[in-house]
Amino acid sequence: MIDKSLRWIDDRLGIAKGGRTFLDKIFPDHWSFMLGEIALYSFVVLLATGVFLSLYYIPSANEIVYHGSYLPLHGQRVSEAYASSVSLSFDVKSGLLMRQAHHWAADIFLGSIAVHMARVFFTGAFRKPREFNWIVGVSMLILGIVNGFLGYSLPDDLVSGTGIRIAFSIVESIPLVGSYLAFFLFGGNYPGNGVIIPRFYILHILIVPLLIMVLLGAHLGLLVKQKHTQFKGKGKTEHNVVGSPMFPTFMAKTTGFLFMSTAAIFLLGGFAQINPIWQFGQYEPFQISYAVQPDWYMGWLDGAARIMPSWEWVGWGHTIPLEVFLPAVIFPGIIFNILILWPFIESRHTKDLAYHNLLDRPRDRPKRTAAGAAMLMLLGMTFFASSTDVMANFLELPLKSVLWFFRFAVIIAPIIAYFITYKICNEMRAAEGIGKRKRAQVVLRSSTGEYTTVDSEPRPGDGYEELEAIPVPTYIDLVPPELVTGAGVRRVMR
Amino acid sequence: MRRLLQARYVVPAVLAGCVGMVGLLGFSPGAAQAVDGPSTTTPVPQLTSPPLPTPIGQPTAPSASSVLTYRSPSNQTGIFYTDLPAAFIAPGQALFASNCSSCHGQDANGATGVAPNLQRLGAGTVDFWVSTGRMPLANAGVQAIRKPPRFNRLQTLEIAAWVQSLTPGVGTKVPLVGTGSADLEAGNTLFTLNCAACHTITGSGDALMGGAYAPGLHLATTTQIVEAIRSGPGNMPRFGPGNITNTQARDIAAYVQGVIQHPSNPGGFALGGIGPVGEGFVGLLLGVGILMLVCFWIGERT
Repeated sequence: MIDKSLRWIDDRLGIAKGGRTFLDKIFPDHWSFMLGEIALYSFVVLLATGVFLSLYYIPSANEIVYHGSYLPLHGQRVSEAYASSVSLSFDVKSGLLMRQAHHWAADIFLGSIAVHMARVFFTGAFRKPREFNWIVGVSMLILGIVNGFLGYSLPDDLVSGTGIRIAFSIVESIPLVGSYLAFFLFGGNYPGNGVIIPRFYILHILIVPLLIMVLLGAHLGLLVKQKHTQFKGKGKTEHNVVGSPMFPTFMAKTTGFLFMSTAAIFLLGGFAQINPIWQFGQYEPFQISYAVQPDWYMGWLDGAARIMPSWEWVGWGHTIPLEVFLPAVIFPGIIFNILILWPFIESRHTKDLAYHNLLDRPRDRPKRTAAGAAMLMLLGMTFFASSTDVMANFLELPLKSVLWFFRFAVIIAPIIAYFITYKICNEMRAAEGIGKRKRAQVVLRSSTGEYTTVDSEPRPGDGYEELEAIPVPTYIDLVPPELVTGAGVRRVMR
Repeated sequence: MRRLLQARYVVPAVLAGCVGMVGLLGFSPGAAQAVDGPSTTTPVPQLTSPPLPTPIGQPTAPSASSVLTYRSPSNQTGIFYTDLPAAFIAPGQALFASNCSSCHGQDANGATGVAPNLQRLGAGTVDFWVSTGRMPLANAGVQAIRKPPRFNRLQTLEIAAWVQSLTPGVGTKVPLVGTGSADLEAGNTLFTLNCAACHTITGSGDALMGGAYAPGLHLATTTQIVEAIRSGPGNMPRFGPGNITNTQARDIAAYVQGVIQHPSNPGGFALGGIGPVGEGFVGLLLGVGILMLVCFWIGERT
């Protein structure tokens, strides 16, 4: 019956052929290829928990008097957005768990994107023909950061309100168009006429997620179309992919991973407090708390703004606040442009226009690896600079000393990182027998009592050998049993 | 079985186990509240009266105990500024001479470049510095640090009484704070407006310029809070009754004691209460880190 109806559908839509391609997609068996899936699954958690939150959150800046179950706020005039965020934390069953899981999922989403991107970068997986997918990925990273900031702002608490104030100033700092753009976005001068919360809301729950989903579809579509890259190894060439098929091996693995990712996020959501907005109180533009930072993925921008000297340019009746414009507009602009254009920058430098399906080991490309390390160090230093006050307090150092340390460190540390990484790569490459399997040392004693050591004979599998590919079956129910046994390794031609 | 005991499976499993154990051990009632659904338990801040200043040590001053245990039920503000008894002055002078005078001088008038003049500051100021352990000074740094006090309550008040006796009626008196009828909501608003900019909204404190810092408020008593508001120790501004009325000072003290020090704090570990810095570390190291270990664990299984 099922078979009949499936056949009926297939006769009309012809989806079995596409499904065949999908089910037979080969995934290389290296653990680092699963990093991007953390991002995928935390995005799934974000969507699910976000839908839950949207049932209770009210995107409105209208002032009401709070009468929920958090007593210290009783009788205070707060915005509906803030009141609904507090009451979904206290008065909705599992509301706080959902809100915290949503926030942790956002932190993990961007963290795993960063780790996945580092893997792709350091192994050269972005090279021809995959430049498009690299750009799509970087675009998702940017959209993820934007959406994280928007979501962080929605509860309208004291800490996030401070962030919106800074965002307004950043937009305002753009020469010529800045003040017009800021007034357009906020519906007037700061804090606007209460339009910013509904605007951020529609961007956060609809427009940006939709863009991310479209790009995600393109990301995965290109992945299937162009097939996976793979590390060099036994039987792996530029013209094949060696690994496990989507069905059944990878399907089992990745489904398990979905559950584990979800579990990890919800464990954090249940055990680790994040963004306790009831302590912060309603945002009022004339109030501020100390020790306020953005979420970690915005930290590098905050840090850059903190350590920037207070320079400004005044002329022709206008002021350009360089202390905001340079670190908060120009700096991320340069960083994101370098990221997007990196495949082209590199191929122009190396004059390498060939197709690449085999990955590099990071040590084999010392300049790229060193450049990546320098970039990570630059972002890391600006990231740590966003906690100058917390660091000064913990280390009992004067705030100014910490500030000046980072002013130098953001310039010096990346340079040091570049040269150290470059040196390590070269020394690793020069080491004898690197990348080869170690042979056993055989100790021999001659008749005169002299001891010598020689390498043992190569073991089977040490040399290069072509793998026997398991042919792709036409129908699953027709696969002879001898073909599905074996090591579970299949090979398809491109 | 032997396959399962290989290091590549055992190491991630042990790590995951450790994290799980830590999670279970730390499953505080606060965390349980978040999971079970907070609708059944309304978070009620602890609103206990401050521990009464009880004299420890020699019961040689019977006249003192009546003052020290005095509470002012009829007083509308909830703050009663007490005049310390004259019997405190003589022992206070002796304590001052042996513990404080080497820097502040025999007449408490200070020495230029060494220690400030204490005359005209009042008993409340002295009580704040001595009862928080900041005086006697551990070492001359940018800012005196809070430490266990050297003197008991009675001795502290004796020293305060002697310093006050040098300039009677001038300066901050020692307040007795009753928070029984305090308005927590007003305290919340006033704290956010006047205190959070340095002490942070969670009262954790943070660094200021030049090596100074706003201390955390988690150990301060209501008396010390009102004394600090009125006298402005160190870098802190001094708030007179025109800025913050006695009623408002009482409300702030009640908020710090009831909410900052005893937060109704569901949601799990507070991660130091330092905001996104702590959260970022946990999210990246625990969240992404554990999932990378999981990747490593299942990634190369075929």
